[in-house]
Amino acid sequence: MTYSVVDVRNVDKVYGKKNENKYRALQDISFSIHEGEFIGIMGASGSGKTTLLNVISTLDKVTQGDIEIAGTNITAMNQDALAEFRAQKLGFIFQDFNLLESMTVYENIALPLFLQNITGKKGKERVENVADILDIKDILDKYPAIISGGQKQRTAAARALVHDPNIILADEPTGALDSNNAASLLETLKQLNEDHNVSIMMVTHDALSASYCQRILFLEDGDLYKEIQRTGTREEFFKEILDELAEAGKKKL
Amino acid sequence: MLVKLAWNGMKSKRKDYIVLLTGLVMAIAIFYMFQTLALNKGFTSDYAMINSMQLIFNVGSVLLAAVTFFYILYTNTFLLSLRQKEYGVFMLLGAKKRYIKNLMFVENMLIGIIALIIGVAVGIGLSALVARLIMGQMNVSLDGYQSFYTPSMLVTFGFFLFLFFVTSIWNHVRLSKIEVLDLVNADAKADKTVMKEKANIITIIAGIISLMIGYVSLIFMEQLREIGVFSSAIMTTLGTYLIFSSFIPMIVKCLKYNRKWNEKGIQSFTFSQLMFRVHSLKKLLATVAMLIALGAGAISGGLAFKNNGEITVDRTMVYDTTIHTPSAEEENIIDKIPFIEESEYRYKADGEFDYFLKEDLEDQRPLINTEMVRESTEVKRLEAALPDEKDSLRDVQDKARNGSFEMEHEWSLFLNTLQDTYTNQPLIVSQNVYEDIESEEQTVFVGKTDDFMAYTDQWAALDEIKQEQMDTETAEESYGVTSKYAMYKSYDTVATGTVFMGFFLGVAFLAMMASCLMFKVLSGANQDISRYEMLRKIGVKKKLLERSVYKELFLVFLFPAILGVTHVLIGMNMFSFIIYEPYYRIWVSIALFILIYALYYLLTVKMYKEMVLPDKDV
Ligand SMILES: Nc1ncnc2c1ncn2[C@@H]1O[C@H](COP(=O)(O)OP(=O)(O)OP(=O)(O)O)[C@@H](O)[C@H]1O
Ligand SMILES: [Mg+2]
Repeated sequence: MTYSVVDVRNVDKVYGKKNENKYRALQDISFSIHEGEFIGIMGASGSGKTTLLNVISTLDKVTQGDIEIAGTNITAMNQDALAEFRAQKLGFIFQDFNLLESMTVYENIALPLFLQNITGKKGKERVENVADILDIKDILDKYPAIISGGQKQRTAAARALVHDPNIILADEPTGALDSNNAASLLETLKQLNEDHNVSIMMVTHDALSASYCQRILFLEDGDLYKEIQRTGTREEFFKEILDELAEAGKKKL
Repeated sequence: MLVKLAWNGMKSKRKDYIVLLTGLVMAIAIFYMFQTLALNKGFTSDYAMINSMQLIFNVGSVLLAAVTFFYILYTNTFLLSLRQKEYGVFMLLGAKKRYIKNLMFVENMLIGIIALIIGVAVGIGLSALVARLIMGQMNVSLDGYQSFYTPSMLVTFGFFLFLFFVTSIWNHVRLSKIEVLDLVNADAKADKTVMKEKANIITIIAGIISLMIGYVSLIFMEQLREIGVFSSAIMTTLGTYLIFSSFIPMIVKCLKYNRKWNEKGIQSFTFSQLMFRVHSLKKLLATVAMLIALGAGAISGGLAFKNNGEITVDRTMVYDTTIHTPSAEEENIIDKIPFIEESEYRYKADGEFDYFLKEDLEDQRPLINTEMVRESTEVKRLEAALPDEKDSLRDVQDKARNGSFEMEHEWSLFLNTLQDTYTNQPLIVSQNVYEDIESEEQTVFVGKTDDFMAYTDQWAALDEIKQEQMDTETAEESYGVTSKYAMYKSYDTVATGTVFMGFFLGVAFLAMMASCLMFKVLSGANQDISRYEMLRKIGVKKKLLERSVYKELFLVFLFPAILGVTHVLIGMNMFSFIIYEPYYRIWVSIALFILIYALYYLLTVKMYKEMVLPDKDV
């Protein structure tokens, strides 16, 4: 039995301070992500996907409930400890890459290592290693401004991976990519997950992207109302997801 | 509707506008003050000496106007950067470009006018205060001086309105050229920093050589004279610009290519940011360095010039006071002054000659300045032999008349300094001849203290008594007193004007340049927001990011400071042939500069931090 990297228990998130209009963006959510799992979060716009990702990624605090990542309860930690935690245990991939234009691809990837004082030869080895996996070894010395969108996103993925995080969190990582580049990135993520046993949690709108996952959680108005597990091929899973989305759409009518 | 939206937009950026306004208000206030001091008619004509001071303030106004122009240009860029995204969105939503341009124009003019009104009000207060300080320094009354002076106000309004108008037009033109999308995506530009190695090395060498030539011209200004003035000004400036476009980027690059440093924490990010900034700011940084030099130079130049007064009079007159036949009143004063050297010489005057008693001079050999060569002046005891006259009074007079009366040069120099009027020829006669002279015996008292400046009140009192005496003696026309103190005073008037001018000009230069730098840095801050956000997300502690901001901006501020201060330290040599101690209290200007500059540095960091690292509860 694999143990869980992320444990979310009865989490509530309420936006709006005292005396303000309150909005309950997450309602009593519980689930866990097992080690080596590739999990997807789907739901309509405004359903709370980013909010969920943010509380798991320690960028935002929960109003109620507990979140445990790799055995550490993050709900009671202070800012600095959280930053340190993020730097060591989490890897991020953002929709718009978020690379630093004034630094080379190499430096961009190595940044999380620098933060942990892993420099010199040891750092170089690790950067080259992930660059190899993501097939961006040839562009390490270039600046982000002159590489393609796909390469940018793979650079961002390399940056998320380089320090061996417990889990990679991705918010619409394919949102800014064309279908070819998106497929290639998803292939890479899947490969990372299967060959290197990296745990991944990905937020997405897109059914095709979601079909690369092993399990998908569906959110609606902050409520986790359903999850489906992949059992057969990706194509089958893709259909299953589409059906589920259609179902959800019908309910709204 | 749009006006209301624009107004709301302005309100949300209140802090930035306050900083902007403060800078403008200060520039306007100082400009107005210079104008009142330069233009006040009533008070000009009364004091002849003040006329020369007014010239100084006029020159100051022109210099200030030039710097203000640049300052306003930079604040304007900053203003545009504050608003461009918002205007872009308005345009995207269908607002007509012409309408937006007019809105911007009105906004610019409005800020200008608000700044003008506050600025002139502050200027009135400031000039009243400064005028009082100056007048206090010079011991003259404030009659005729008005701090609320209409012509000055008109000049100030005219000048600044013109300036605001020009910059508003300039914005107008700039907006016309920009496409909507450029405005909306104003922050999403990639920054390229390409450097050509070879060309760079040549530029570095050229920069260092020009700077060396400039420095050498400054140091040997006395020998080079006019050539020196031109070559130092041109070569130092050229060198500064070249160094900033080549050498400084190279230093940053070296920092970055030092693996050990670069890979420490987020240092790689700090250095990258710095590199980018140094590239985009190089012209401004060079300008800042030059103006730091001018500003600090103006302050220390003024101080050194003022200090020069004391040294000058000390070197031209050994004795602090010379009193002929002191009255009881005068005795009273000098009795209370602790002279380290005092003598009293007897003499008789007959309208043609002053006959000094040889024995007195023999017994109390005076101090004189060796030669009037400036560098080597030194006070020494007069050792030359006294004339050995055996002649009778008649013979002495005859010899003196046909020019064959012989006296050592040093003695005649000394006796000249004793005399009140230069109409009588001084002679030295021995006791027996002296007794034959029928005129009434007089004495002249000379005294020297250990510190001339410590007894200025007494000197002034003595001069006043003297002036009264002269006024009663020569009813029709009285000359001014020619004492050491009077000489010092007249020098000091001009010097005081120079000090104040140098001070305010210097402070204005420093403050404006520092705030140009600030606005320029802040106008780029929008582009950095997402970078800092990303770093925070991947787990960089806020403290670390803050430290990175401090470090990066520190280096940005440091480079021009170093070069600017070096310019001042070397540049003050330039004055060595008109001022004895050009480095007098140079630390005052340096300290003042550091203070102003540090304040701006901290303010920049604070505002920048607020923009890129907003407080969140995360
Ligand atoms: N900082 C906030 N303050 C108040 N309400 C917020 C805040 N952030 C999000 N919300 C609200 O919480 C709800 C969930 O937002 P969230 O960003 O998680 O949606 P999402 O599922 O990511 O949507 P999308 O697919 O459009 O990105 C929304 O109704 C949103 O308005
Ligand atoms: Mg979202």
